[in-house]
Amino acid sequence: MLLTVLSFALLIQTPQGAPRTIAIDEAFASQAHLKVGDRVTLSARPDTPADSAEVVIVGAIARRGADPSEVARGDYVVRMHLDQLQRIAGYGDRVDRFAIATRPSADVGRTLEQINHVAFGFRAYRSKDIAVETSRTFQVVSRFHRAIGIITIVASSIFLLCIMVLKVEERRRDIAALRLMGISRLSVVRSIVIEAGLVAVLGSVLGIVIGWVVSLVVNWHYQALYRTPLYFSIITPSIVAFAVALSLVLGIGAGLVASARLARTPPLALFGR
Amino acid sequence: MTAPSGASVGAVRDVPTARASIVSLSDVHRDYPIGAELVHALRGVSLEVERGDYVSIVGPSGCGKSTLLNLVGVIDQPTSGTVAIAGKRVDAMTDREATSFRLHNIGFVFQRFYLMPTLSALENVELPMAEAKVSARERNARAAKLLEYVGLGARQHHRPSELSGGEQQRVAIARALANRPALMLADEPTGERDAKTGAEIIALFRQLNADGTTMIVVTHDEDLANAARRKIHMRDGRIVQE
Repeated sequence: MLLTVLSFALLIQTPQGAPRTIAIDEAFASQAHLKVGDRVTLSARPDTPADSAEVVIVGAIARRGADPSEVARGDYVVRMHLDQLQRIAGYGDRVDRFAIATRPSADVGRTLEQINHVAFGFRAYRSKDIAVETSRTFQVVSRFHRAIGIITIVASSIFLLCIMVLKVEERRRDIAALRLMGISRLSVVRSIVIEAGLVAVLGSVLGIVIGWVVSLVVNWHYQALYRTPLYFSIITPSIVAFAVALSLVLGIGAGLVASARLARTPPLALFGR
Repeated sequence: MTAPSGASVGAVRDVPTARASIVSLSDVHRDYPIGAELVHALRGVSLEVERGDYVSIVGPSGCGKSTLLNLVGVIDQPTSGTVAIAGKRVDAMTDREATSFRLHNIGFVFQRFYLMPTLSALENVELPMAEAKVSARERNARAAKLLEYVGLGARQHHRPSELSGGEQQRVAIARALANRPALMLADEPTGERDAKTGAEIIALFRQLNADGTTMIVVTHDEDLANAARRKIHMRDGRIVQE
């Protein structure tokens, strides 16, 4: 059982008797300079008299899970035994929520129906449904990021096309000379498209390497900042495949448009005569 | 300059034995519409050039000499009249036919060299041969011999940026000879070159012609024009003196 205790008082004490153990999260341990074996006094409120507070020992320091919903949380997490929590919180046997683990072979849907059929004052949900509910914000943010990505790609594509047209345009006299020598339109277009394709592949490889390094730096920085194993930036094989494919399509397309435009122009016109 | 190895260089091997017309223009007119005005660039030009000849065309700017060269080079078509190169009418060819004809029959040398900057001298010379589907081994051997012929045997693997202007022009000349053309055309080949480089090019052209290459050169350079066997003067779209 995991509960977040929002308000408590702590006093580091010298060992005495045999207190029970608690687990605290890494951020809390770092902030309060606690380590495994330290004794602390737990109470629900700072003004609780010392004789009614509970002395416990830090038994474990837990890393935060890779849960996006925990990343921005500023409060600390303390895990304790249920009876301890009941005493300190003063809720008796009341809880806000609890989880039921089922065996892999269990019919979860039927179990859920049975619980909700007899439930009074609470409702049971699948953990998957709760995760979807709590991750809606992230879905919105993710869609927002996707929209920015699409706008960036469209703008980059237009930019790439313009650059490619300009670069090929710079070669109009070279292309004119080639055409005068008897090099066919098809050969001119083919050579430029092959060059554009190679540049696109090299560019996407370079982009992937830069993206991978940036991703490492971003993860290193934010994992340290939020003390979480969560990955903030990931480069998956599908992203790599998409990037290379998109780069090839754009590069070859831009090369084709630019070269076809010049190849259609008579050589003398390319020479400006 | 290295002496030519006639047995291995196509343009050199085709030494003519009989004098035959390779270029034949008959009453050629070329008009250009510029805005509402019609410019008569050529006005009834007739010209015969025999195999192995070396012709220079001179005249003031705008007299029609480049237009004439464009028609002989199959990169333009006359408004009227006929143009035949190596016995074949070329005045009404499609773009594809003209491109193929140029590849196999005509070598061009320009004022600027238009060498591919990323290719070595050898690869630049190989380029027209690759287009003509010459096997890799043969084009490599032929390109090496052509570079040897123009005196650049030791600089085959240099890129254009590593060569002087004169050397680049010699690579361009070797490239023009790559597919053993029946005719070589040059448009101001010594233009923008210093006197020494100009003299080298004139000597190379003389050598090429002596080895059998038919040449037509358009130039303002008196020395180059005087090096030719025939000197044609043009004015106002007509041949006025030869």
